[in-house]
Amino acid sequence: MVAPSPYARDLKLFGTRRARLRLAAAVVALGVLPFVASPFLLDLANQVLLACIGALALMLLTGFAGLISLGTAGLLAAGAYTVGALFREFGAPFWVTLPCAALLGALLGLIFGLPSMRLRGLYLAISTLGLHFVMVYLGGEYEARQSLSTGVMIDPPSIGSFSLTSGRAWYAVLLGFAALALLISVNLKRTRTGRAWRALRERDVVAGALGIDVQRFKLLAFVVSATMTAIAGALFAYFRNFVSIDAFSLYLTVQYVAMIIIGGMGSIPGALLGAAFVILFPYAIEALASYLPERFSNTVFALDYAAFGLVMILFLLLEPAGLVGLWRRLRNAVTARRAKTAS
Amino acid sequence: MSLQLVANVIVLAAIYALVSVGYVLIYRVSRVLNLAHGELMMIGAYFLVATSSLFSGNPIVAIALAALCGLAMGIVVYAVLMRWMTGEAVLAAVLITIALGILLRGLAVLVWTTQQFYPGATLGWHNPSVRIVPGVQISAASIAIVIVTAAVYLGLFVFLQFTRWGIRMRAAGQNPLLAEQRGIRLHGVYALAWGLSTFTASLAGMILALDSGVESTMATIGLKAFPAALVGGLDSLIGALIGALIVAAAEIAAIQYVNPLLSDVVPFLVLLVVLAIRPWGLFGSREQLDRV
Amino acid sequence: MRAGAFAGFVAAFVAACMLPSAGALAQDAYAVGVTAAMTGPAAATQAPVIEMLRIYVDRLNAKGGINGHQVKLLIEDDQAEPSRAAANATKLIRQENVILMINSSLSSTYGPVIAESKRAGVPLWFAGAVCPKEAHPPKPAPLMFCSTGFDFSVDIPVAVRSIKEMAKGDVKLALVGIPVPISRIGVDNAAKLVDTLGMKTVDKEFIPPTTADYTPFATKIKGAGANWGYAYAPWPAEAKTFEALRRLGWTGEYLAYGHIQAEDELKRIADPGLEVLTANAMFRDDVPVQKEIREVAAAGKYTYPATYATEGWISGRILEQVLTKTGWPASADKVATAMSTLNLDTQGLRGGPLVWTATNHFRTVQYYRFYRYDPATKGVARVRDWLAVNVLD
Repeated sequence: MVAPSPYARDLKLFGTRRARLRLAAAVVALGVLPFVASPFLLDLANQVLLACIGALALMLLTGFAGLISLGTAGLLAAGAYTVGALFREFGAPFWVTLPCAALLGALLGLIFGLPSMRLRGLYLAISTLGLHFVMVYLGGEYEARQSLSTGVMIDPPSIGSFSLTSGRAWYAVLLGFAALALLISVNLKRTRTGRAWRALRERDVVAGALGIDVQRFKLLAFVVSATMTAIAGALFAYFRNFVSIDAFSLYLTVQYVAMIIIGGMGSIPGALLGAAFVILFPYAIEALASYLPERFSNTVFALDYAAFGLVMILFLLLEPAGLVGLWRRLRNAVTARRAKTAS
Repeated sequence: MSLQLVANVIVLAAIYALVSVGYVLIYRVSRVLNLAHGELMMIGAYFLVATSSLFSGNPIVAIALAALCGLAMGIVVYAVLMRWMTGEAVLAAVLITIALGILLRGLAVLVWTTQQFYPGATLGWHNPSVRIVPGVQISAASIAIVIVTAAVYLGLFVFLQFTRWGIRMRAAGQNPLLAEQRGIRLHGVYALAWGLSTFTASLAGMILALDSGVESTMATIGLKAFPAALVGGLDSLIGALIGALIVAAAEIAAIQYVNPLLSDVVPFLVLLVVLAIRPWGLFGSREQLDRV
Repeated sequence: MRAGAFAGFVAAFVAACMLPSAGALAQDAYAVGVTAAMTGPAAATQAPVIEMLRIYVDRLNAKGGINGHQVKLLIEDDQAEPSRAAANATKLIRQENVILMINSSLSSTYGPVIAESKRAGVPLWFAGAVCPKEAHPPKPAPLMFCSTGFDFSVDIPVAVRSIKEMAKGDVKLALVGIPVPISRIGVDNAAKLVDTLGMKTVDKEFIPPTTADYTPFATKIKGAGANWGYAYAPWPAEAKTFEALRRLGWTGEYLAYGHIQAEDELKRIADPGLEVLTANAMFRDDVPVQKEIREVAAAGKYTYPATYATEGWISGRILEQVLTKTGWPASADKVATAMSTLNLDTQGLRGGPLVWTATNHFRTVQYYRFYRYDPATKGVARVRDWLAVNVLD
């Protein structure tokens, strides 16, 4: 067998033996999870997987390409409503609705990427916020005109007689989508597109001077990110079996932004860690709060909200590199101690 | 009828303008976008709820005390939190204000629950309606907000142009490094900016509370005023005033002549249009864009 | 390489998930799950109901519980968000094995909770929150029940008809709601009914709750020449529109649904032109049990005024009767059967008993009282005693 060329060896995702072992461990763990976890934990895992897709999308746009976007909730709503409307009006099956959601996402990404030609930073973020309000308006109009006071109910996706309802089945599906999103993100980062985005993030004027087509890559970032987010929204609609405009509030966008911050900006594992953290955090707070004496039982719920804000602040102040940064520090501390005791 | 509409526009513009002062002050002086401004306004309103139940017989004391607490709140927020973000990436500072907003919302519900409060009723004031000219009637609280907004803008203009600390603030806003090297203590300037910002926010919150009550979702008004500040240019006080007028006029025109359901979307639509033509706002300084 | 480290992290996390989860319930208590908007947008209307329910249940437990067993009320906050409501429902039903689910939140959270309850065969009871159409007669979903006082399909026709009765002369009606689908649908239905009754709808306003100033909307209503206003929305929107109208010098009359805050608010607004209709009696009626409600609320450190407690109290009594009838050992099926035979004496808090049958999980008769402020007594006056409306019409 011919030894792989040096470049090919560099390109391999899991080149070292250690990395392959870790990958195997992760695959085993992920595979075993649905069979040992309680139904509630399984539902949580599914929520985390779903959030990972959106978090990765946002990481691509904001973390890699440096284009701040506050339109996540609007894009999720767009994907979800595509499914809802197509299902309700035409009874469309999932292999029609999902691509349609993706197409709509791409189109919206294009439209809302256009301001990025002229705007930067906070002004760009605000223009993406406009997307959110437009979607809320359109969604509300649709529900009101169709007399859907409690949202659109959607049947679970089905092929023949098999219907996607059980937690385990969803786990497999969502894991598949999340893995796909992860693969896309990793590959984009390691290739020319990722490097172009990185140059854009640092100083787009300089990037342009280096010969990178700034406009094309900016739009590409928006389109890719929006498509992924819209698909995540469509999956959400099928997962919860329904769509309602109230589900897509500004707070949802803030949560996704929190995911990529807490996880660590510009880092793919950071997006995944951040997604897990933000989803699981309220439940951790409630579990902790259950140890408080009875008379605090009214305050528990508001506590969750306040604690989330506090944790975000602490991360931003103390560990701007997020969970990934924390992990690295921990690991460096352990390695340093090991080195010290060895010498 | 149309005179009433003009009056409505002026009142709504005054609300947006008073809230926008806070955004502009902090941005101009320290380049930070304070997205917790709406929540700080809400806490200011809650301060009035607290003082009005303590001093229910003495409205002047209650209002003055609440306003002072509002001023102190800004200085505290800077000293405890935002101080550490000085010199860090602007994005991180903005994100921390978002987190601060969430924290404040949670704390507000923890302390005051989700109930609605009416400090005006506690103080025994019934917000009478006043006929200014035939065909135009507005509430006393609305008149108050227009007067207060005008006073605040005038006061700030004088402060920034003619007083020593005002000049220091402008210097720090234009070139922080140079200002620090010239002996202007940036921390003091920033703390003052934050204090003034929350002071004006509290004033806005209090007048709104006297007009129509306080409850935990009041903070979203801060977000609605945001386009007004941006349209005018985030570092220009005159811009905020004009931006507020434009946005208020557009919103009321939409309610009256197009479709009231658009009233939430219209401010952002106006913003998008203005940003497409002049990306730094109508009166904003151009170079700010590149720095971000 | 980073990916490798991350993979290791994932493995550790999954291993942690395999730890036994705390939460297996003591088997000798009635497990009842609640998903409610305890914080967030809808909390102002929902949180007081559930808090009173909790106080009621605590009191029951202190007195020895029901049939000798304690009642474990497991309350989860969903912040009016559908995904949290879904996760709550999953947790409560599949992990805590509750035999009864209560939903007290915004209608947008209903979908997933309904689906989960249906799948598990656990009865789902809407308390203090708007009734979905699946709970309405004549053929309600077998496991869905609704005890909430207000309901848009019944309230609106009653309100519109009573405007017609109360009005002297021509009615030019302005309808007020918020841009939430259920309010918009309600207002549109009202407009259709208004036409058939020979009145005229001159304006429809949907006011976003984030509005800083209600005056522009009020200006439009006044400009349209309305002499009557009818609002169907959460209380703040109803009240603020009325106050804005009055400040413009509008002299018309206004009818709104009286939510839990209505009694205190009528006294604050102090305007005889504002009339409310409610399904629950107000405290000014001096119903004997209201004294007990005040005492229980005070003893339980209820964080809201006692006048907000009625809906929660009624819910507590429903729960008490249902679980008493269920007996022991308890199961979801027995609870569902018990609920289908509910016959609750509402102690004068509503116009009549609350009756559920196999074919009616809502009620057969809805009762309303009408109140307004009386400047002579500086208090709330009752304008109309219990108006009985047949729901099945």
